[in-house]
Amino acid sequence: MMARAAILLAAAALGAEPLVTGFERFHAATPTAEGGRLLYNELGCVNCHGGETGLPAMRGPALASVSQRVRSEWLRKFMADPTTVHAGAVMPQVLVKADAQALVAIEHYLAALKPKAAAKAPAKIMHVNGGRGGELFNTLGCVACHAPGQGFVPPDGAPKAADFTHRSIGFADLKTKYSLESLSAYIFEPLKVRTDGRMPKIAMEKQDAVDIAGYLLEFQGSDGRLDVAIDQVALDVKRVAAGRKAVITARCAACHDLPKDVAAAPVALKKTEGGCLDAEHTKGPRYALSGAQRAALKLFLAKKDEAASPKVAADLTLQALNCVACHERDGQGGPDAGRKPYFQGDHNLGDTGRYPPPLTGIGGKLRPEWLAKVLAGENRVRPYLQVKMPQYGAATADLAKLLGIADARAALKFEGGDDTAGRKLMGTQGGAGCITCHRWGDRPSLGIQGPDLSNIAARLQESWLREYLINPAAYRAGTLMPSFWPAGKSFNPAILGGDTDKQIASIFKFIESANGEPEGFPQNRNGEYEIVPKDRPVVQRTFVEGVGVRALLVGFPTGVHLAYDGEHGGPALMWNGRFFDAYTTWFSRFPIFEKPPSEKILAWPKSSDGRFLGYRLDAQGNPTFLYEQYGVKLEETFEGIEHGLRRTITWAPTPDFSPALTHPEGMSVDVKESSKQGRRVYIYLLK
Amino acid sequence: MKAAFALCFLAASLSATSYEIADILTASTAADTRAKDWKPGAGLALEVSGMDWTADGKLAVAIRKGEVWIVDGVLDAQPNKATFKLFASGLHEPLGLLSDGKDLLVTQRTEMTRLRDTTGAGVANEYLTAGYGWNVSGAYHGYAYGPKRDGQGNLWVTLNVDMGDHADNKAPWRGWGGIIGKDGKFIPMVAGMRSPCGLGTNLAGDMFCVDQQGTWIPTTPIYHLRKGAFFLNPEGVASEKLSASPVHLSAPVPSKIPYPDALKALPEMCPPAIWMPYNKMGRSGTDLATCDTGGKFGPFDGQMFVAEFTDAKISRVFMEKVDGEYQGACFPFIGGFASGIVRLRFAPDGSLMVGMTSRGWSSLGTKAYGLQRLRYNGTVPFAIKEMKAKPDGFELVFTKPVDIARAGDVAMYRMTNYTLFYSGAYGSDEIQSAANGIVSAKVAADGRSVRLKVGGLRPLYIHELHADGLRSAAGEALDHADAYYTLNRIPKN
Repeated sequence: MMARAAILLAAAALGAEPLVTGFERFHAATPTAEGGRLLYNELGCVNCHGGETGLPAMRGPALASVSQRVRSEWLRKFMADPTTVHAGAVMPQVLVKADAQALVAIEHYLAALKPKAAAKAPAKIMHVNGGRGGELFNTLGCVACHAPGQGFVPPDGAPKAADFTHRSIGFADLKTKYSLESLSAYIFEPLKVRTDGRMPKIAMEKQDAVDIAGYLLEFQGSDGRLDVAIDQVALDVKRVAAGRKAVITARCAACHDLPKDVAAAPVALKKTEGGCLDAEHTKGPRYALSGAQRAALKLFLAKKDEAASPKVAADLTLQALNCVACHERDGQGGPDAGRKPYFQGDHNLGDTGRYPPPLTGIGGKLRPEWLAKVLAGENRVRPYLQVKMPQYGAATADLAKLLGIADARAALKFEGGDDTAGRKLMGTQGGAGCITCHRWGDRPSLGIQGPDLSNIAARLQESWLREYLINPAAYRAGTLMPSFWPAGKSFNPAILGGDTDKQIASIFKFIESANGEPEGFPQNRNGEYEIVPKDRPVVQRTFVEGVGVRALLVGFPTGVHLAYDGEHGGPALMWNGRFFDAYTTWFSRFPIFEKPPSEKILAWPKSSDGRFLGYRLDAQGNPTFLYEQYGVKLEETFEGIEHGLRRTITWAPTPDFSPALTHPEGMSVDVKESSKQGRRVYIYLLK
Repeated sequence: MKAAFALCFLAASLSATSYEIADILTASTAADTRAKDWKPGAGLALEVSGMDWTADGKLAVAIRKGEVWIVDGVLDAQPNKATFKLFASGLHEPLGLLSDGKDLLVTQRTEMTRLRDTTGAGVANEYLTAGYGWNVSGAYHGYAYGPKRDGQGNLWVTLNVDMGDHADNKAPWRGWGGIIGKDGKFIPMVAGMRSPCGLGTNLAGDMFCVDQQGTWIPTTPIYHLRKGAFFLNPEGVASEKLSASPVHLSAPVPSKIPYPDALKALPEMCPPAIWMPYNKMGRSGTDLATCDTGGKFGPFDGQMFVAEFTDAKISRVFMEKVDGEYQGACFPFIGGFASGIVRLRFAPDGSLMVGMTSRGWSSLGTKAYGLQRLRYNGTVPFAIKEMKAKPDGFELVFTKPVDIARAGDVAMYRMTNYTLFYSGAYGSDEIQSAANGIVSAKVAADGRSVRLKVGGLRPLYIHELHADGLRSAAGEALDHADAYYTLNRIPKN
């Protein structure tokens, strides 16, 4: 691993070859025709030389808007020498012989492509927060492809350089390339520029894109109006015409979408040696290919006319779009050790709570129509993942269908099934308790918040579901999902005779029927967990807002209640009316800080750093709290009286000691027996 | 209900011919904790979180809701006729209970409390703070477990690391275990645990604890607790800097390396005495109970029984000391319980009380909670009773004489060894797996044991044995043919 990382870093340092991440990760070590197919598509070879790669078309960025997006000087430099200006760039050097004049002419030509009636000018950016942008950039999934940025340390600590086992897609010098406005617009709507989906769209708010752009540009300050706009080219008709000729000569239209009058005719491929594959080649585009890239392309060219099998086409498509940056498929891919710390989520769900699911057999797992919607940006079922599944536009238009063919499973249609039994099987009342860990529509689960189950009849293929339920770990090692049908044997033989197939079919039927929810969700509470002290006081420890974690609630039948400080000793809150709803304290996995159910809560100021020692209950159930102050033990009894509480404090009289006692502010306290040594009595009344 | 239960029992083939499960009280479909008609005070949601025997021989049961019940009649022929009496209430999720003379000790989230009945009414009227001194943030996972008493009389309490909202593992002693001082103050002893839910001693009085697979815990471990030890989970390690800490780490906690390498990188890290491989031995260990029944629970006196939550089953552990450190093997034992098992306690008559609750996590048990009794029926199961490490292999000791011809055939045995990956990730795959060759298998003349000479032993690796082909002299198959030895050290002789 270390050695491999070192080699890759060395390769990165050379910075020579165009970076196709999928090739580098999965094909560079042992070049094959398959890897060559990926390159033939992703390096744009197919755009001149034709053929059917079976992969989504690779197109260069939209050029009609380039003069608005990118600064002139940068653009000219990039056109002259793409890989030097942007390490790893896929764009070949096509303007080798072009002089400075020609570059300026092309620039004028491209600027002239700008739509005449420009769309409404975007709203001026007012505010930018690069710090926030950094958080977003490093957590939304950008770093699955790009290198993590500065100034952000993931919660588990920063990875070591050696943990990065493949190169990141680098950036050009963004400051000389973009304005804040143009980079924001690109991040917000990348598919308008990269129509081929190679920079996919992560759904976000406009301000998110602005902040990310601010972070990447290291924008100084927070005033977006200080952005330096991109100078627009003052068009020169002669230069536009010269630029048009240069664009035709350079065959830009092979990869970029340009007007028909500059179209590039196909170039027949006559040999598998020399030409673009030759490093010293000067006639056409020059690619700085690595040895492995060259070898793979040669292997592919030898059988270029063979169609890719659906499986190969599907695998290579997932590599071309870099889906495998986040997802594993067939044991390959997924984030490397360097990027894993940037994948965060709900740690209660373990690894499944932070890493996107594997794509192994995905076309046989999800129903094609569901998968198509996932690719279109809908049907998100894992809201807990911080990384967001992006959209790829037209590039994934046929992907759901392709995956369905590539990953097809033996069809299974559940027969029969009893939706009543299914409902029971999913519930907590004698069932598998699915809702303990899984959401159901809008209802949170009872415990950890696993994926929603109410939609799985529309989402999952039946044969996959059956296999998964019998052995979840086979699909995803380390999953928290237990098997309730281990080795095909049901956990509950009392339902449907323990017949595994019938049970699973019944669960499916119940979900499909959309008729009610599994048993065991808490019902709307109508006071059935409310403690009503009827005959005796009731004591309950819990976490209480304003008192702390060591609080004791005491409810009195007389209707005025007490919260006591079980850490330092001393009363803390009093209120009247209802006492306390104990549902969360008694039955929730996730306790909260309880709040007395009253508008009017009176608080005692904290008296001293005493220490609580416990309490006794007398025959009537009244509590006597025990605590010490300055080494002197105090006892204080609370009793409910009409409209209030009676507090009696006693201690063994000690020289120079008088207890530190407080009373709620703004309350008249009836003091009784205050003069007596070793005893105080107070009456607190709430009117 | 009864019929359903009998079926359930048959489904659990484990040790089913030698042990019988009886219901004392389990959730029925109509009386779950969240049933619509459930009201406070009506019905008893017996979500068992602590159990011990009172001075007068009844079973005291703490439940998660915050009550202690005294149960009478659990050892009767019909334990489902047992009677329940409320002893204490208003506690904050007590997760352990121990008898102490006439008193009961319970550990609530925020303190250990002594419950006393000074009036003889059979109801606690004193709730005295008996142990304190750890931070509680209000995070849902800030549990406290115990107490259990070791051979020196120390009361041990263990503290879960915080998770979720409010979590603050930098505050004192989350993920630590310690003893309660004379003044009631918590004295930290060991660090590096995650969900140290199950404390228990062996017959020598040494304290052990079973933790659960999760972040930094590649699979369920059993630790030998002793002063200064650091185990696995560093989330609460910040407390090491406090003056009361007996743990002093000489190097940063390593991460993302194979477990044996982690031990090299951090000398204070103590390997668990036992690893219980994930899924093969269940998922989340929850309690330990050492068998000391004079044979009334079968041929396993001195061995430890381990409760498990997800699969609702009980495993068995044999330990030995090698170079002064505990290590040993775990074996599957019996499943088919009603709910996620949280507490085990041996009874004076040699049966084992099994306390359960599945609230909040999933379990193969079909009930929300329950209390069951496991009793030995006198039929000796054919099992690998002990698996002992030897300089060149292992010795297997059986509960009954074996078929000597089979047991002497090396082809009857299959062994692999592997270790785990140490990182902040949730759990670990088995890594660096390698097969062990069985060089020879020599059966003792009495047929009670086999000496296996094994190639490729690796210290610190888990050695997994399968011996499905073995038969007893009477032709029975093994009750369970798999065993997992945590070979921290290879004995020199």
